[in-house]
Amino acid sequence: MSAPEGAAGRAVLDRLSTSLALKALLAVAAAIVVLTVPAWAGDYWTRILTGVCMWAGLALAWNIIGGYAGYISFGHAAFFGIGAYATALLMQPERHWSFFLTLPVGAAAAAAVAAVVGWPTLKLRGAYFAIATWAMAEALLQLATVVDFTGGSSGLTIPVFASSAFFYYAMLLAAVLSYAISYLLLERSRFGYKVKAARDDEATARSMGIDTTRVKIQAFVLSAVIPAVFGGINAYWITFINPRSVLGAEVTDQMVVMALVGGLGHAWGPALGAAALYGVNRQFLAWFGDTTSYIAMVGVLVALVVLFLPDGLVSLSPRARRMRLVRRLIPRPRSGTGRR
Amino acid sequence: MPPSGDAGDPAPADVSLFFQTLVNGLLVGGLYVTISIGFSLAFGVLDVVDFAVGEWVMLGAFVGVAWHSWFDVDPFATLPVTFVVFAGAGLLLAPLIYRVRTSRYVRPALMALAFTFGIATFARGAMLTAVGFDPRTVQTGFAEGTLSVAGLEIPWLRVAGFGFAVAATGLFLVFLYFTRTGLAVRATAQDKENAGLMGVDVKRISTLVYALYAGLTGMAGVLIGSIYAVTAQIGPQYALLAFFVVVLAGLGSVLGVLVAGLLLGVLQALVTVYVGASYTLGVVFAVLFLTLIVSPRGILRRGMAA
Repeated sequence: MSAPEGAAGRAVLDRLSTSLALKALLAVAAAIVVLTVPAWAGDYWTRILTGVCMWAGLALAWNIIGGYAGYISFGHAAFFGIGAYATALLMQPERHWSFFLTLPVGAAAAAAVAAVVGWPTLKLRGAYFAIATWAMAEALLQLATVVDFTGGSSGLTIPVFASSAFFYYAMLLAAVLSYAISYLLLERSRFGYKVKAARDDEATARSMGIDTTRVKIQAFVLSAVIPAVFGGINAYWITFINPRSVLGAEVTDQMVVMALVGGLGHAWGPALGAAALYGVNRQFLAWFGDTTSYIAMVGVLVALVVLFLPDGLVSLSPRARRMRLVRRLIPRPRSGTGRR
Repeated sequence: MPPSGDAGDPAPADVSLFFQTLVNGLLVGGLYVTISIGFSLAFGVLDVVDFAVGEWVMLGAFVGVAWHSWFDVDPFATLPVTFVVFAGAGLLLAPLIYRVRTSRYVRPALMALAFTFGIATFARGAMLTAVGFDPRTVQTGFAEGTLSVAGLEIPWLRVAGFGFAVAATGLFLVFLYFTRTGLAVRATAQDKENAGLMGVDVKRISTLVYALYAGLTGMAGVLIGSIYAVTAQIGPQYALLAFFVVVLAGLGSVLGVLVAGLLLGVLQALVTVYVGASYTLGVVFAVLFLTLIVSPRGILRRGMAA
């Protein structure tokens, strides 16, 4: 009697180990493919994939405040721009900093700005935060255009370092690190639970002893530091920055859209959204020579996603579907006038 | 920096410049009131910040341009038609926003915000594709020349814009405070659940308010387009100004909107003349930021708790 059971158990174990081995094999293969991109992909595709890495990281950063903390930031371009300007300014010939040393400076500056802006606004409803961050980004854009040391509207040039492989690996490393750090912090730590608790029911979270304002500010700072690092790498990559290109609303728009289309509050959603939309963006550029029609397309896409696919592209996977079914069976109280 | 004249009594030219700036600011402020009053009410009734507010202004301005260049009629004469067009668009859009806002999504307010963001992005992208980046102005034969009063030179155009704004806002306020439907609107803005219990059809009211707001804002767009040049990218800037007014006014405070709108016009004019136009948004942000720290319920402290 025990023999067939043992056999069945062994069969299950066998199947499990083969599927595990298969997964491991696939992961190794994927890692090899990703790590050798500059060797086989050619310059154009390497650049495209560098862009995908960057936007995946940026969308991820936006997702921390937008998806996990539940506050929409319309000013994330500010942090990207702060990082870009920190790197560009410190790498000017007269200062001559090493590139790697400029990244922490930009990150620290972005963190400080995020803390100052977040402190009064994250206590209020989400709409106020959205407005304040947007106004902050627009104000910074104007400031960068009028003050002298940023080079005004003509921008700054950075000593050229022409190696697409270097920038591919830099962006890849930054993206992987960002994902690892935010995954550990948001999905595998107490901090993540606090952030999500504050998002889902602030009053209850507070009554459980969570300092919700503090947690939200921490999340905002985290989501500001990452774009600053990418901004720095990007500035060095494209070697020329001006206020429009690094502080403009388009940068924020892309982050919002990619996170939203990929899947808000989901660990892998932003990467998926970034890969899909950056590809589409480049394709539109190739077809029409500009991206104005891309902007229009993205707008429609966002509206459609909100109406018909609120959990984004990730919700199309079979596993997410099962989860949704489970969630649908658990009744959720309908909030009439939600405070957010 | 303010022009550092000699210490002591300022020259009369400075005084008249100051008053000129003040009047110009007040006149433009009237238009900001028109934009923001509907916006604030839509915010109160739908509980959604409409990020498309600036795009309604932009589209309104371009409809004004189209009236002149396609149909060869004066855009000021067809303002009521423009109102109807935009109210119609609002009527079509509002049920969708309402549906998202009252959906069983995990975060309906956030998703509704994202939805209007998508609409705004679509409007901007579509107009950029259609007309490009070139600035346009709304041509009108209604108000030409300047009005000279007490040594001040005021363009008739601004006076006319202000007049239209006052009339539109006045009509809107009469509707709000002296009709039964207006009462239902105010009740809905205060408390949706109780308004519903008293027999108010919240969905119908929301749709109505959104339509009125879209119409008002589109009309104000025509007027703004006749005073300032507009491009297809102008939307976000006006959205920011509308937000500024609403934050300063305090959510749901109609009186606050009247004060804050005029204040914004004056502030903008003063900054432009005495500091430089490129610092406007910086100053706007600084004021916004301070208001949120000091008094999130608005400068008159009449808004709802934020």
